[in-house]
Amino acid sequence: MGHNAASEAAFAEFAAASRSRLRATAYLLCGDWDRASDHVQEGLIRVYVAWPRLLRHGGELAYARKAVVSAFLDSARKRSSTERPTDLPADRASGEDVARSVADRAALMAALARLPGRQRACVVLRYFEELDVRETAVALGCSEGTVKSQTSRALATLRAMFEDAARDELVVAGERGLPW
Amino acid sequence: MVNDLQELMRQNVAAPPPELVDLDGLVAAGRQRARRRHRGRLAAGGAVVLTAGVVAAGAALWPSASTGPEPAGRPPAAHGPTISLTDATRAVEGQDYRVLAHHTNANLDADNGQYFDGVTDDGQILFQDGPRGPYWNQRLALMDPATGEKDWLPDPDLGQEQFWPVELGAENLVLQSVEPDDTDGLQGTLSVRVFDRATEQWSTLQWPGLPQVRGPKNGQVGPDGRLYVLTPATTPGPPPGGWPTAPDGDAEDADADGETSHLWSVSLTDTSDVRDEQQVVGDFAFTDDAMVWTDGSNGDPGRVHVRDLASGEEHSFDPHTGERCNLLSLGASQDRIVMSQYCGTYDDEVRDDRVQVLSTSGEPVVTLQDSGIDGWVTGGAVVVSSFRGAMAGTYVYQLDQDRLLRVSDSVSNFGMGGPTPDGLFLWHTPFNHRHGAEQWLGQLLD
Repeated sequence: MGHNAASEAAFAEFAAASRSRLRATAYLLCGDWDRASDHVQEGLIRVYVAWPRLLRHGGELAYARKAVVSAFLDSARKRSSTERPTDLPADRASGEDVARSVADRAALMAALARLPGRQRACVVLRYFEELDVRETAVALGCSEGTVKSQTSRALATLRAMFEDAARDELVVAGERGLPW
Repeated sequence: MVNDLQELMRQNVAAPPPELVDLDGLVAAGRQRARRRHRGRLAAGGAVVLTAGVVAAGAALWPSASTGPEPAGRPPAAHGPTISLTDATRAVEGQDYRVLAHHTNANLDADNGQYFDGVTDDGQILFQDGPRGPYWNQRLALMDPATGEKDWLPDPDLGQEQFWPVELGAENLVLQSVEPDDTDGLQGTLSVRVFDRATEQWSTLQWPGLPQVRGPKNGQVGPDGRLYVLTPATTPGPPPGGWPTAPDGDAEDADADGETSHLWSVSLTDTSDVRDEQQVVGDFAFTDDAMVWTDGSNGDPGRVHVRDLASGEEHSFDPHTGERCNLLSLGASQDRIVMSQYCGTYDDEVRDDRVQVLSTSGEPVVTLQDSGIDGWVTGGAVVVSSFRGAMAGTYVYQLDQDRLLRVSDSVSNFGMGGPTPDGLFLWHTPFNHRHGAEQWLGQLLD
């Protein structure tokens, strides 16, 4: 029932294999690689504690994803409200594709940073982790309706921010198929 | 030109900076977190003594004019698989467990003594001396069970204040005490002393924003390192005319309404950090990855609720305690929930006492049902004390092996013990014609 050498070895193997993916998700949530590492560390510690149960019932990666998102949301609640996200970089019409691409990516991170944590989590889980609405609701511990409404608001806000910053339109592939 | 959201996200994480991955450190941190959960449960175990004391104190205060109808016959069978003390296997020293240390107090009727108050994560015994004449201040030491050597700690300035360890870590010792208020002594001001083992300094914490807590001990350290405590919400009184009198002369309060409390948490480093968790509970406990609570305590427990600490998901279930069962304490270990209950007194003064083990999903695992027992959870096991006749003694129910071991044939007259890490347990036996006590630290063997 508890932890033993074999289960710890299995946990270490899982942690090594999943860490990069979890860190990427955490980075999109918090916008800082060091803090992303901290969220992953906290999430994986929670996974370790639950590991004997997960070994019996499966769902390790889904649980780890939940734990990392939860660690991020916990942290977001604790962080100072005095933090100010940076402005979106305006399109300077440099004409250079590389510079534009870098600026677009930075614009997305800045826009994500302005979203409330739960809306940000909806966007990242839906469009980076490619979870469906039900899976996202499970990961966030909320209803499917909440996921839909939060995601819809988040996308509208992101689009508006891109528009205000005079950047190219922000689109979501396959958006017509979305349920709202 | 357009920006595709998914593509932008992928590009943003395509070239992460390198990261120093310390898997050994991660596993070590996980182990520490798991151990902390076990210590939290141990603190809950101690509450058995508290709640029993509350019932007894209340019984002394409440009128018992009515002798009331007494239930006849034998106790009803508990729900699900049930065992009794007679199902225990005699534990063999050297095969089922080994003794790591023991200490004898020859005559505790004559004076206070020296006690094992628990064991730290790194295996040191918290050793309490006094208060006893002519030394009226308690002294504390960390004792190496292998050598018996004691490292006396600086004066914690406890005086004669009674304290309970809530966390005995490799880095800190956290002791809790409650200064009773002037009304009924069942609630008071929480005070915590923290000993930093690196600097060998004590600090005393009180939280101005925290209401009076149910006393004298109800704290548990949560997975986030905060101390969780209960403040009174409702405390049902006796029925009109008072409780009936049981055959043994005590007030018969089986089937009482449960009391409820507000759950609060406080920081152990910042006394301005006090949080109302906005949760009304009866009793609560932590498993490794969940918080468990009941609707009521010291009476009808109602439903059991389980919240996954990582995801926040909750579910609840009916534990199917008996109709007359009062919850005395709640504990948890891994995916097991342990509820100690008193369910009434029957013919020939036979008590219906139960230690019910459930899974966190609500399935009945086993109920230990017998007369004159109580039990509490300690790292991976339930330690049960029986005070009656031929079945008296200390028993250990190993949750991971579903087996009940009988470790001793008697229990001393004195209350002693404390939290221990996984696999260790404390028990005590009478000495010197029950005037004194021997206390033992044991380690379960696989």
